[in-house]
Amino acid sequence: VLRPRFLEAALGWASDHLEPGATLGHSDPSANEALQVFSCVGNQAIVVDGPAAGDLGRVIGKHGGVLVAFPPVTLRRLAPGERVAINARGVGLGITGEPDVVFHSCDPDLATRLLEPAEDGRMRVRVRAVMPPEAAGAGMGMLARQFNLDLQVSEGEPARIARDLHFGDIVAVLDQDHRFLRGPREGWLALGVIAHGQSIGGGHGLGLVTLVTGPSDRFILDQSPDASLASLLSSQDRWM
Amino acid sequence: VSETIIDSPDPLIDNRQELVAVAVAGRIAPARVPTHAPAIDGDGRYVCLPGHGGVALGVHSGSPVSQFVADHLMVGASIEDADWQPSSPGPLHLLSCIGNSVRDARGRAIGIVAGKRGGIAPGHYAPNLLAVEAPDSTLDRLMPDDRIVVEAIGRGLRFPAWPDVGITNASPRLIDALRCKEVEGRLSVGVKTIVPAQLAGAGLGQDVWIGDLEIAGGSAQVADVELRFGDLVAFRDLDGRVSRYYRPGFFAVGLVSHGPSPTPGHGIGVTILLSGPADKLAVVTDQESAFGRVLRSWGEEDGPKGAGVTALTQFSPTGST
Repeated sequence: VLRPRFLEAALGWASDHLEPGATLGHSDPSANEALQVFSCVGNQAIVVDGPAAGDLGRVIGKHGGVLVAFPPVTLRRLAPGERVAINARGVGLGITGEPDVVFHSCDPDLATRLLEPAEDGRMRVRVRAVMPPEAAGAGMGMLARQFNLDLQVSEGEPARIARDLHFGDIVAVLDQDHRFLRGPREGWLALGVIAHGQSIGGGHGLGLVTLVTGPSDRFILDQSPDASLASLLSSQDRWM
Repeated sequence: VSETIIDSPDPLIDNRQELVAVAVAGRIAPARVPTHAPAIDGDGRYVCLPGHGGVALGVHSGSPVSQFVADHLMVGASIEDADWQPSSPGPLHLLSCIGNSVRDARGRAIGIVAGKRGGIAPGHYAPNLLAVEAPDSTLDRLMPDDRIVVEAIGRGLRFPAWPDVGITNASPRLIDALRCKEVEGRLSVGVKTIVPAQLAGAGLGQDVWIGDLEIAGGSAQVADVELRFGDLVAFRDLDGRVSRYYRPGFFAVGLVSHGPSPTPGHGIGVTILLSGPADKLAVVTDQESAFGRVLRSWGEEDGPKGAGVTALTQFSPTGST
């Protein structure tokens, strides 16, 4: 997808489940499963062949495939069929002494920047928005390490909250336990990144890729306009 | 024969005279263990329990859903489209309605459709099943892979006077049995309990004709009532007319199709029958409500003893002239 670019406004495009950047898959089902499970948001991607061979990008989410952001100059040289490799790292990540806090699809460097230790022993995290539990739509009951949770943002309070969201924003959803599958649980929350766009279908909407989940009382949520992959990922390789 | 049409109270009259009845073939689904998506409980443990297909002897509409140790258990015989990917709903699944009559390959009556269960993402996760309520003496002779036929009718059903209220997955006889009333300008229907939208889990975002919407977290969180197979349940703030999704000010009313699951985000399955805005569709709770009894009695009437008295003949247009 050449337009919009990753980090632009998530709403307002004439599209359905829009996937910014390039979408990766593998034709062998078990290799595709490995690509889906082992790829983590923040991992480095490298184009293997074609005119853009050697260019770098970053994994920015998961949907049916793995979503990778590349600089515009790279996207304009990429074509379907060309190969991209992921330096996959992050599955198995945990925090010593925090058995209930579970990471999914989260590069360790991203995790370090996402969660900052607070003085009282909790973890401080900047979020762009906090969604109520009724926003959780399609994706409930599915494995938290794959695909994503669609946020129902066409009605009510979630619609109001979603108005200012961008691709790449960090969002919390309340009363969610995503340790294994995505399910509701009072007093817990899930943190993730907005990776795909709105849908015209009821029950579908902005795609939130789960990054971390745990009891709400382990986190301090700070609402901040720069709670985004834009500030959380290193821009050294100019993936944006 | 046409009494069910004539007896409908005037404001609630529906368009059943226009409906097409069609014989759709399928088969008794084998019992399955889902290896592609193994069930994991809230503590991350692998759980393997029966409930995915097969014939469940002794499990009937009206029984408490928590009576059995199972995962997504449905009553009686589970049936599915034959010659079809189990992960995708086919014509049998998409045309059949609750209350439709089911017969075997030799034309003998078996029972009635008493529930629908859908895979979590069509094309990816099996199964897509219908439950057949039938007497144990009938269930006893059914075998997985046996050919069956559903006399499917209900697609297209609507109340012309209530265009904002959708009817889905419901046969005409089921609509009659719901005993909807007009109360102060609204269509009113009784349910056993009302579930908040926050508890809607697997099944959100799907075609409402596929399977069910699950009450995530199981029975423990559903008010103070014990749910039984066939009970009527409403979701608050949920629009279930086309797909199933969060929408403040709407109700979606359905019927308990399957039992709970140990898997997070999953739970008791509710197949949606009626949905619309709260200013058109009123939901009244009655903890004594026990709709499963109706389904159980239909299963007996439509079984071998009551052969010939099917839902199809009960409203045959030939009888109304």
